[in-house]
Amino acid sequence: MKIRRSRRSAVELMMAPLIDATFLLLVFFMVASQTRVPPSFPVELPDSLTRHAFPMKRFNLFIGREGLMSIDDSMIQGLDELEVFLAKNKKAIETLIIKADKGALHGYVIDAMERAKRAGIEDLAIGVKETPGGIMID
Amino acid sequence: MKDTRKKRPKPEINMTPLIDAVFLLLIFFMVATSFAPIPGILVKLPPPGMPQTSQTPQNLILRISDPDPGVYNGVMVLNENIISVDRLLGAFQAATLKQKEMLIIQSGRSVLHDQIVLIMDLAKRADIKKIGFAMVAREGI
Repeated sequence: MKIRRSRRSAVELMMAPLIDATFLLLVFFMVASQTRVPPSFPVELPDSLTRHAFPMKRFNLFIGREGLMSIDDSMIQGLDELEVFLAKNKKAIETLIIKADKGALHGYVIDAMERAKRAGIEDLAIGVKETPGGIMID
Repeated sequence: MKDTRKKRPKPEINMTPLIDAVFLLLIFFMVATSFAPIPGILVKLPPPGMPQTSQTPQNLILRISDPDPGVYNGVMVLNENIISVDRLLGAFQAATLKQKEMLIIQSGRSVLHDQIVLIMDLAKRADIKKIGFAMVAREGI
């Protein structure tokens, strides 16, 4: 008994279109990706029923429970450094998102807001917890 | 003259490792990307320069004292009356339209951020248009 399959030419997958599509997807995700950069200390955001939606961007200001500050994952030592950083990057920031721990003192947040204002930033956002069922306002 | 190149076997690039790497990168970026917007509360800062002293009796003024040790929330005083958290929303909603133009929060430095965000949330729910933070003016700033 002969095996007929062995006579057929080997089945070949057309790899070229697959690779084309994959490259396209890769480039899309590379361009569109804004990865979340967590700070080196824990931050538990406060909850709020009403909220706005902000596009994810670089340069989020994190304020920890003990008043530690960091922009994304790089620590900021003191308010003066914060002001210099914000003034340098204010074009890229536009709306500074302040993600302060719910246990952080109001004084720390006010200090940061004051420095942001002095650095020339006009719009701020106070980050709140991502819980379902919030009321979106414009 | 003979073309010697034709005799050689066709050179081929081995694509497999390249495709492996590309797939790996693709999966990494797909997992790491998040398109979900960040929820937050918008705060518009007044223009720099002159500090605004827009306090008028028409505004709602909420004063919050520094919390005592072991207590989570500071004591709140809304226009000279002590008020609790659960009655605050009702008080905001009962305010006149003119009062709802602006809420000024005068808060101690040791008040927790959580309480401030809660008040901002309640104010937004009661349709208060602007929220101002009173700051203590310091020398040299």
